[in-house]
Parts: sequence; structure tokens; C-alpha cells
Amino acid sequence: MTANNAEAAGGAAERRTLRIDGRRLRSERTKQLIIEAYLALAEENSPHVPTAAEIAQRAGYSVRSIFERFVDIRALQVAATDYALVQAAALAPLRDGDGDRRTRIRSQVEVRARTCERWLPLWRSLVVNQHESEELKRRVTISRERTVARLEQMYAPELSTLSDLERRQTLIVLEALTDVDSWERMRKHFDLSFDEASAVWRQAIDRLLPPTPPPNPA
Amino acid sequence: MEAYLALLRECQDIPTAAQIAARAGISTRLIFERFVDLQSLSLATADYAFAMAKSQAIVHDAEGERPARIRSHVETRAETCEGWLPLWRVLVANQARLPQLRTRLGIFRQAVMQRIELMYAPELGTLPALDRRDLLIALEALIDFESWARMREGHGLSREDACQVWIRMIDRLLPPTPQEARP
Repeated sequence: MTANNAEAAGGAAERRTLRIDGRRLRSERTKQLIIEAYLALAEENSPHVPTAAEIAQRAGYSVRSIFERFVDIRALQVAATDYALVQAAALAPLRDGDGDRRTRIRSQVEVRARTCERWLPLWRSLVVNQHESEELKRRVTISRERTVARLEQMYAPELSTLSDLERRQTLIVLEALTDVDSWERMRKHFDLSFDEASAVWRQAIDRLLPPTPPPNPA
Repeated sequence: MEAYLALLRECQDIPTAAQIAARAGISTRLIFERFVDLQSLSLATADYAFAMAKSQAIVHDAEGERPARIRSHVETRAETCEGWLPLWRVLVANQARLPQLRTRLGIFRQAVMQRIELMYAPELGTLPALDRRDLLIALEALIDFESWARMREGHGLSREDACQVWIRMIDRLLPPTPQEARP
């Protein structure tokens, strides 16, 4: 092969790669739009799972293009849940982890309340439909484990004063208390404002936590 | 209605008229002679289940000392959660489909709140109105069906261990018992 031929072959390969990359990019973009359409519909019609036809119409694609990218609606539901979990984590940064007790409670409640407020309809849909899929059930567990991990971080000083059993019991209850269901009840059933509902959580957490130990001398 | 309830427990979804008829050993026509439609059967069943749950949840030790009241309340509530969790889940899942169910769920929750108020009257009586309301809401969330389900299904706690969690945490949430309420 001459130098010119080799150069031409290299150029063609590069163009092919670019074409493939472009196709892959477009396909990924379509996949993303389908997920977003699913999430929008699931949120609007929670806990009803949208049909393929509804998702296709909302995304502006054919039903076929959905099933070219997802084996079935359940697979789309799992992918959308993963996407939502990533988003929820990104929107709930850890803040004031080193603050005093009051600051940590306020900060944790505020972040958790915003997460619940934002993701309530989707969470309702996920919880209601989890019994139909082990994968969805696993996502519910992951989400709850993340909440527990955050509680452990935020209330480390107080939790460190408890025995293993008491610590476990306290975490179980703190997680249940600050669950999306609990938030939904306060907002929809008891008709509390965002601030009033946050105050309920703050007061309850403060009562449930043991006294804060004095800081270790440096 | 009993056939309907049995199917709800098994399938965790609203059964069809044909399924109910088959389970009850009657014709579908007979169902619709007694209920206008499946929706009214669903609502009648929810009311029937609520009446049953209420009759099983007898008040004990409401005049007792604090530990006795907490234990009694928790054991009764645990019994209700254990027995009625599948039905509760179906009702919650279908409240958007049957708006009247939402009203029923509200009534159920109100009954839970009233029981909390009755059992912890001495302690709640020491709080200002707003703190009292907030504490009632927190206690109701603590002893919710899904809170029970989490302990039993998610954390694999035995019934007694799960009761212990609630007992300990209710005790932490409640303010001190006033002197005059102590027997």
C-alpha cells in the first residue's frame, strides 16, 4: 500500500467511525428522550405505568423504536428508575455534615423534604409497581439504603453514643419517618405547608436522637 | 365481599367480577344484582374490612401507666398491620383509580390518630396545640402500615423485635408523663 493509499484508507476508516459514533449518539439521544417521556408520563399519571403507545407519542417516536432500545416496558421502567435515582442523588448534596445538632437536623430535613417533594409521584409509582419486578424492588431498597447512609452521616455524633441494637432501631425509624409516604401524608392528607411539614420532621428527629456528645478535645 | 378480600390478599390487585364470582361460588349476575358495579363492591368491601379491623383493635390499658399503654397500643397496632397490610396496599395503590377510596383512607388514618390521642392523652395534654398536632402526625407516620412492613419484610425483624422498635421509639417521642397522671 502506498502512503497515499494508506492515508485514504485511514481517512475512510475515520469517517466510518465518525458515522458510527454519530449513529450511536443519535440512538443514545433517542433512548434518553424515551426515558424522559416515560418519566414525565409516570409522574403525571402515577401510579399508572404508561403504555408503549403513550410513551411513543410523548417522545415523538414510533412504538418500534422503543422496543429497539428496550426489551420490554419493564426494562424501560428500570432504566428510567436508575436515571431518576442518579438525578435525585445529584440534587441532594451533603451539606452541614459538620454543623451543630440543630444545623444538621435542619439541613438534612430540608434536603430530604425537597427530594420527597420533587420525586413523590414517581416514587409512588415505583413503590406500587415494585411487586411486579425484582429489579424494581431492588431499586426501592437501594434508595432506602441511601437514605439510611445519609442519616448515618448526618447524625454520626449522636448515633455513636448508642449500642448497635439501639443504633439500628433508631435508623430504621428515622428512615421510616422521613420516607416519601410520610411526606405525602403531611402534604396531602394533613394539608401542611412545606415549612410546617419540615418542622414536624425536625421536631420528631430531635426527640428520637439521643443527646449530642461533647466534642472530643483536640 | 369475603371472596373479594381473599383475592385481594392473594393477588394484591382489584379482582375482576368473574374472579370474585368463581371464588364465591356464585354467578357474576348475582354480584351485579347486589352491587351496581365493581366500584361499589370495592367501596363496600373497604368499609366492611375497616369495620372488621376496628372491631379487632380493642382498646386495652388506656388508663394504665405509660409502659403498659405503649405496649398495649403497639401490640394492637401490630396486629392490625400484620393482618391488613395486603389490603391496605391495594387500597393505597388504587386510590387514584377510585377517588372515594381516598376518603376511606383518610377515615382510616383519622381512626389511627384518635387511638393515639386516647392512649397517650396524659403526655399529649402537656403540649401546646401545635406541638401536639406535630407529634400526632409523627406518631402516625411511625406506626404506619409501611413502617411495619419495612421492619418485617425489609429488615427481617420478628414480630416481637418490631414491636420493641415501636415501643422504644414511641417512648422517645412522647414528652414526660405528668405527675398527676401516674397511678
